[in-house]
Amino acid sequence: MFGQQNGLSLDQAPPIRVIFRFFLIASLFGMGGGIWLAVFAGDIMTERSALLALTHIFTLGIMASFMIGALFQMLPVIAGVVIRSPLPKSLVFTLAFVPGTMSLVAVFGGYQEELLYTVAFILLGFALFLLIVIMLPGLLSVTHHTPSSKGMTIALTAFAFTFIPGLYMTGILGGFFDGSNYTIIRAIHYGFGLEGWIALLIVSISFQVIEMFYVTPPYPPLVAKYFTTLVLSLLILKVPLLLYGSESSAAAVDTVIGILLLLFALITLRRLSQRKRSVTDASLWFWRLGMGNLIAVVVSALLLKLGSFGWMLGVLYISFVFFALSIVFAMFYKIVPFLTWFHLNAEGYFSAPMMHEVIAPSNARRHFWLHLVTLTTLLLSFALPALFRLGGILLILSFGVIAWHILSAGKLYEDTKLKGEKFDLGMGMQG
Amino acid sequence: MIITAYLREEHRECDTLFAKAEEAASKADWDTAGVHFREFADETLLHFKKEEEQLFPAFEAQTGNTQGPTMVMRYEHSQVRGLIERMNDAVSTKNKDAFLSLAESLMILLQQHNMKEEQMLYAMCDRLIPVDTKEQLLAVMEKVSL
Repeated sequence: MFGQQNGLSLDQAPPIRVIFRFFLIASLFGMGGGIWLAVFAGDIMTERSALLALTHIFTLGIMASFMIGALFQMLPVIAGVVIRSPLPKSLVFTLAFVPGTMSLVAVFGGYQEELLYTVAFILLGFALFLLIVIMLPGLLSVTHHTPSSKGMTIALTAFAFTFIPGLYMTGILGGFFDGSNYTIIRAIHYGFGLEGWIALLIVSISFQVIEMFYVTPPYPPLVAKYFTTLVLSLLILKVPLLLYGSESSAAAVDTVIGILLLLFALITLRRLSQRKRSVTDASLWFWRLGMGNLIAVVVSALLLKLGSFGWMLGVLYISFVFFALSIVFAMFYKIVPFLTWFHLNAEGYFSAPMMHEVIAPSNARRHFWLHLVTLTTLLLSFALPALFRLGGILLILSFGVIAWHILSAGKLYEDTKLKGEKFDLGMGMQG
Repeated sequence: MIITAYLREEHRECDTLFAKAEEAASKADWDTAGVHFREFADETLLHFKKEEEQLFPAFEAQTGNTQGPTMVMRYEHSQVRGLIERMNDAVSTKNKDAFLSLAESLMILLQQHNMKEEQMLYAMCDRLIPVDTKEQLLAVMEKVSL
């Protein structure tokens, strides 16, 4: 990390608009997902393709956008990896990634145009290539890894392992490849995507931010040091087991990963209860809810091994989505106000708004309740399918709140830069 | 790892004092908040002084690098000093919103700063500076006062 000192300081982070743009795209996809659910509510339980479309709105449109935005911000700060020219690079990535994701979602959602598979294949393939070129070499060259920077490298590797079989399947559906081993490739895609990319990125970020935001004891050294490597190794081990048809062994590996994630959730909840700062805020509740959902994911996955219950699969699905979303929102309510204040303060604006002026704590709390009601509604929808439509509307509202927060913070930032008083060493005070 | 152990312990003490001040301020108990905040500010500024006047020069002498990590750490100290001043004003004017909002920024800034020091800078000092020099350095740091 100190080998690349320029990346050490927070002010080496990319321009604020890079991150805000990713977050805004994620929230627009979120609102799109809500609209989808509200309109096609009846198909979710019966049409596999409708669920597939919704899943990719969530994994690619929402989660990947939030997480890649966060990585642009965190790589310089946490890993000391400076991304040169972040603005044009992120823009080119977005221009390939957004239409690529929309094509994939459209084709899954029933717009059966073979050309769309080709468009998705090319654009998403290019986006992945770009992301790896932008981020992975810097991460791999870090000589002194922290648990967090190592975890990010591992999560990004898992993302590549998710994307490659994903592209291959898109290629099969687009007619580029024959369809052999499709179900095995799909299992690999799910494993690396859900247990690797999403879960491990959250785990590795937790190693850094739980201690930092809430002033808790650090995670146990053994967990911090080996957790992400162990899970990635298990996911890699699962590949030959699936390829050679040893499904029971692959299922056993999944159980071990599930238990490890359960352990992580319990340690995180314990750490939060040991925090020195007694003041509670919405982000703390988002973390707790996220970990509660992770526990529900593991428990329902283990119960599903004992027997097949349709509603249990629904609980698993919704719990995973809300595990990831809760953590993203928890981070959002710290990152957006902090960055707005930090950038303006570092640029010397006396009138830099304080964090609570960027997003009022009461608004974050209200959003937590909306999020909780959305979760409850969607869980109840499996018993009362009529509620899916309401769940969709609540999702539109929830992501609408996020979009509104980003736009307000962006406006506040621009207004302060335009009108704020700035201290300049050479010029003294200026308007 | 005597440097790491000594200075990390100071970080923890500052965290505890800060948490007490923040808790009192959240309850609008300004007398208690004022006492703990002054303790926190004094401890933190003393810790910075030990680093800037003793540890950083020792590191720079050992590595010949004055433009690297110590420069970044000094810059972050100046950012923290600015926030401490503004929080002090918030205590004087009993402005709860301002205090809690500044507290949020200060904690994020300070924690990420502390982590970089603990995980990297102190570890490098422990590795690079000879044992005798480290022991002398600790003895001198112990005597530094505001």
